[in-house]
Amino acid sequence: MVRKARLPYDVEERHKEGKVGVTMKHPLVKWSSRLGLTVLAVGLAAGCGSKAPEQNGSTGAAAGDGKFTNKQLKVAVFEGGYGKAYWEEVVKKFEADYPGVKVEMTSNPKIMDVVKPQLVAGNPPDVIYAPESEPSGTVRSLISDKAIMDLTDVFESKALDKDVPLKDVITDGLLEYTKPYGDGKIYYAPLYVTTQGMWYNKTLFEQKGWKVPETWDEFLALGETAKKEGRSLYAYQGTSPGYNESILWPAIASVSGMEQIDKITNYEEGSFKNENVRKVLNIFEQISQKGYLMPGTVALNHTQAQTEFLKGKALFITNGNWFEGEMKDAPREEGFQYGFMAPPVFAKGEQKYTMTGFESMYIPKKSKNPDLAKEFIKYMYKEDNVKLNSEKSTGIVAVKNGAEYAKEFVPKSVYDSVKIFDQGVKPLNFQWKVTPKTEVKIQEEVFQPISSVMNKNMTVDQWVERVEKAFGKLRDVLAKSGQ
Amino acid sequence: MKSGERSFIWVCTLPALLLAAVFVFYPFAQALLMSFYSWSGISDEKVFIGLDNFRTMLGDEIVWKALKNNLFLLLTVPVLTMGLAVLFSVLLTRKKLKERNFYRTVFFFPNVLALVVISILWSFIYHPTFGIVNSLLNAVGLEQWTHAWLGEQGTVMWALVFPMVWQAVGYYMIIYIAAIEGIPTDLYEVAHLEGASEWQQFRLITLPLIWTVMRVTLILFLINVFNQSFTYVNVMTAGGPDNGSQILMTYMYGQGFANGNFGYAMAIGVLMLGITIALSLLSELLTKRETIQY
Repeated sequence: MVRKARLPYDVEERHKEGKVGVTMKHPLVKWSSRLGLTVLAVGLAAGCGSKAPEQNGSTGAAAGDGKFTNKQLKVAVFEGGYGKAYWEEVVKKFEADYPGVKVEMTSNPKIMDVVKPQLVAGNPPDVIYAPESEPSGTVRSLISDKAIMDLTDVFESKALDKDVPLKDVITDGLLEYTKPYGDGKIYYAPLYVTTQGMWYNKTLFEQKGWKVPETWDEFLALGETAKKEGRSLYAYQGTSPGYNESILWPAIASVSGMEQIDKITNYEEGSFKNENVRKVLNIFEQISQKGYLMPGTVALNHTQAQTEFLKGKALFITNGNWFEGEMKDAPREEGFQYGFMAPPVFAKGEQKYTMTGFESMYIPKKSKNPDLAKEFIKYMYKEDNVKLNSEKSTGIVAVKNGAEYAKEFVPKSVYDSVKIFDQGVKPLNFQWKVTPKTEVKIQEEVFQPISSVMNKNMTVDQWVERVEKAFGKLRDVLAKSGQ
Repeated sequence: MKSGERSFIWVCTLPALLLAAVFVFYPFAQALLMSFYSWSGISDEKVFIGLDNFRTMLGDEIVWKALKNNLFLLLTVPVLTMGLAVLFSVLLTRKKLKERNFYRTVFFFPNVLALVVISILWSFIYHPTFGIVNSLLNAVGLEQWTHAWLGEQGTVMWALVFPMVWQAVGYYMIIYIAAIEGIPTDLYEVAHLEGASEWQQFRLITLPLIWTVMRVTLILFLINVFNQSFTYVNVMTAGGPDNGSQILMTYMYGQGFANGNFGYAMAIGVLMLGITIALSLLSELLTKRETIQY
């Protein structure tokens, strides 16, 4: 069985921040790993390996001793919200530590458009860092074509600066999601982790004495309160309704359990036509019918919608923890403070979930210098480079204690957004089952109807029917390919 | 024909023929060929699947929705553009307006702007909160008429029509003005003496005599609308909301590049090729009609 990355959707919008990345590979993951991820993200993991000695020199010397005959390395870097400052620094360091090595680094906000012709010509870069959701679809095509290299040996081998295998350096449980083909082998080298949930203005809630909603009833009740204040309850990234996934999937998981999510990701018949799922979809319909949606939302792109939210037009919006960095120059309501919360639940006491995701590095199968490429990837996980990375990119690197390393460099909201896992919220990783090529873009089939529901052109029943129909098509595609 | 003459003709046409072969016929053939394959667009693994892509297309509702939207644009945009262009050109030539040169420049101005600039400009005009359309409606007390123009299925296609008309109308106006100025003024003088109304003059003199020009421009414009609509849709709505403004080009682009389904995209391309050929046949048909002269 092949499992792969999520299908494309609002790529255009989301990639711009470059922080969206891949949602973690989903299911069949043991609870332990999910919990592990939590713990680790918050930096409570035991044995902070921070005492490992600095040993730039020594590894460098070893590597320089002719271990690598081919000393040319081509690296392609997606220049998104995390910028390229880290890459410029780390490349210099790498060249210093590995004498004779020449790294040719190309960075570009549309890097995969640059890489694509190189791939077709059979002359790809040796290392690619780009979010799976980048808009050219090239990363997804690489994955579905199985044109990326098995990296299992990289993670089984000893870390460059610690006496443990590299896999033990990576965020607990994360590597489970880097095995897209169900063959137990690792193909992605996870670099950044993100969290996606709901945001509100902390200052406003404190001033007005509003309680952050625990349940969907409390959430919807705030709709009337907001109206009296001349505000709306909810806004989302209008033309990219896919952002609502950070509400939809956690809400379904809370009310119906992870089994339901597993059924949905496998396109099981009736998995969407389900009372509990309908209950969640009804939230969207109520937001629409009761006039709780920020006026004009459907026509706004992600930056516009987010700006309106910051100005106080809506109480809640959904987004990832790149939010503060992404909007740092946008105008806002006076005293605005980013508040992060897990999506509410239906009954108090239900398990809360929040979506997480990660972005990876890849080595194309046709890389001319895989040995050095693998060494370069290992180099990224050296502790001093992890710190350098967080400092330059303000991202949380996918290693144990990553959040703690990043704490002093990232906005407080980013740190807060991983801290909720410390308070009983479980991370949710949603990954559609990979299918052979098909015209059905399942992510769009699920989320585009939100526009129609908000425009009152579609009922929840029609929404459910549409998704079930798409599931049916995908089951056919899978059956045809013998999976 | 002398052999020298023949070879001269060959020498003259060969470069154009070669260029066309490399940049037009070869890609066409490739696209046609690719439409029979399942291919992601980046690998060397191509699987021949016969007519499967076309079968998929028949069952793909979005293709038909997109085709409908394409036809909507092909119908409304030329009619509005041609209508307005004729109206303006008649007003600017027949009515001796003092500001005629000013209007000529103003109407033509959008034509020198890049399509992407126009699309972005109109996105702001339609902006639900600070766009000028909604602001004006609010200012005159018509709040109930305000819409999220590009975000609602009911308004989005019309919202796309206006910038397209606005962009093109000046260009065709200039052409029609030239055509009208070529009509001998004595025809109008005679008509005037005979007591013909303005409308009769337009219907019986102006229109028949610029009809040849209109026919040619109509064909050019049909093709233009078909091709240019990609830019407008891509920048202003990206096919949204919920495929409400999806057209074949944007859908093809999405399937080919964002969905890694290049073969299928080429099948959609073949459908578009069919439409373009139909349009040129239509042009053939229209231009065959007899030219009127007085």
